[in-house]
Amino acid sequence: MDKGNVNARDGVLAHLEMLEVQAQGAAMKQQEKDLQEEKLTRLKARVMELRLQRDELQAKVNLQEKKQLEKEGTASDPAQASHKTVLQWKIKNLQAMLQVFYLTGISGKLTRHGVCFYISTAYEGTYLDSYYLDLLTKSEVQIYHHSVPHFIPLEQIAKQYLQTDIRRFLSVLSDHLNAYVGRRYQADQLQEHFSDQIKGTLWRNSLCNLLVFNYDMPSKSKTFPFHVRLVYGNLCHSLPTEVTISCTPDAPASLTETATAHTHLFRSMPLHKAFHSLSSAGETLDGTP
Amino acid sequence: MDSDICQVYEDEIQSLKEEIKLLSKKYEDSQQESTYFSDKEILMSVKSLQRELQGESEGHESAADLQAQLESLETDLSFLMKLTGIQFTGLSKKTLERTGNKTVRKYRLSGSCCSLSFQLEFQLLEMQNKGNVSAAITDLSITMEPRGNSDLDNFVSSEKCGSLLTFFRSLSSYAEWYEHRRCTFLHFKEKYPDIVSLPEGLLGDYILLRNPKASGFELMIVWKIHINEKGKTTPVLDLLTKVPKQVLDQKMAAIENAPTRFRSMLLVVGIEEAIENLVNIFVSER
Repeated sequence: MDKGNVNARDGVLAHLEMLEVQAQGAAMKQQEKDLQEEKLTRLKARVMELRLQRDELQAKVNLQEKKQLEKEGTASDPAQASHKTVLQWKIKNLQAMLQVFYLTGISGKLTRHGVCFYISTAYEGTYLDSYYLDLLTKSEVQIYHHSVPHFIPLEQIAKQYLQTDIRRFLSVLSDHLNAYVGRRYQADQLQEHFSDQIKGTLWRNSLCNLLVFNYDMPSKSKTFPFHVRLVYGNLCHSLPTEVTISCTPDAPASLTETATAHTHLFRSMPLHKAFHSLSSAGETLDGTP
Repeated sequence: MDSDICQVYEDEIQSLKEEIKLLSKKYEDSQQESTYFSDKEILMSVKSLQRELQGESEGHESAADLQAQLESLETDLSFLMKLTGIQFTGLSKKTLERTGNKTVRKYRLSGSCCSLSFQLEFQLLEMQNKGNVSAAITDLSITMEPRGNSDLDNFVSSEKCGSLLTFFRSLSSYAEWYEHRRCTFLHFKEKYPDIVSLPEGLLGDYILLRNPKASGFELMIVWKIHINEKGKTTPVLDLLTKVPKQVLDQKMAAIENAPTRFRSMLLVVGIEEAIENLVNIFVSER
């Protein structure tokens, strides 16, 4: 074999290989570029499509608003509405009414095996947890499933009222649940908004009818924290039945008066509101305003 | 460079999609709220839909679905109204604000609970966070009819901070007693029409018992329904006597003790029997 020829051949081959790679590379780049362009065109088209859709919708909504301003809240043209539309409107209307029942505290729906009730709870204007009770009503009324927490005396209440007076059963259960949720809400609000005045942890049981914590008033001088024990004896109420406030042994005697005033406050007002009024009154522990 | 432009387009597509979603909801809400079909129109549509069902089979499924849905909703609603005693006669809502996660709607609700009618207006704020919808009521205004139930009126006007839930639960228990009182009065009026009279009617809060032959001796049973600030209702009954002077001089002690005896009788035998016992005084003298 001619060494020179081999070399030359290798060189040509290598050169050809290089050209091929270059060509492949260029083709790939071209492909990528084409794909990119395709993608860009696609996206652009999609944007146009959506813009058009949005503008049409906006025009529809504007027309609606104009019509409403012209004739205040009267009916649409019934001749235009198809029967299906009419029924769909009625269905939405009924669904809205069922939703309002939720706001009243007791709502529900009939099921194949009985009825499922929903008890909603609220503290003042804010709606909090809602609980369900799935009842079987074939022979006697039985609770099939429920989401009532275990510390609520559901069985007791059911034993007393479920078979004889379902309305009373729901009402009593609702009282318990609303009171529990109300107590929990007060404790949560206290921890959230007055954490700087609470010393240490706020201890509460799961039913939230026993609260123990230490607090003090913001004061420039040395603070003497109060130790509070709140007992909510009536499970259907969200105000405590027993309030015990004690001071540390080295606290001045004048503090007992403040403690008594606070006791009265906690007994008559929701907890977070009591603290709010304490802070705004600007009371300090040494009794000076 | 190109990828940047792509990103810009993709961002715009995303924001357009959200805008479209919001606008469609707004349009649907507005359509629903500004439309009204009377019960007659709805009945007509149901009937013609039924005719369509029997005719062609196309669109059959969705028409049957609609009807089934309508029926199930109506059954659920009538069951709830019967159970709770709360009937809604009118509901209108208007979406005031709908942005992202927040919706504010103004509601006008009218209805009755037993013979007590109410009209409510309130705003409902709904916020969506992480799959949970939280709701809060503001600007609650309540009008009750008939007025003149001083306890109920006081309670309603003291309802602060929009406590719609408390209003309904208290209304429910007040209405139960209201209805119970009305039925009891009606029962006695029908059973002893000559002895019993209701100067303020069945919805008043007292009942008069008198001897049809010899007037002058009257018993007035007052039955008030108290409602405290928390919404707890308690019936309070009392007895008032109207006695001619001669009888009073003779039987002063018995007459004076009558209200107390009546109250203890209530605790022992309950309202109906206690009233029945009093009525029997006159029956035996007929």
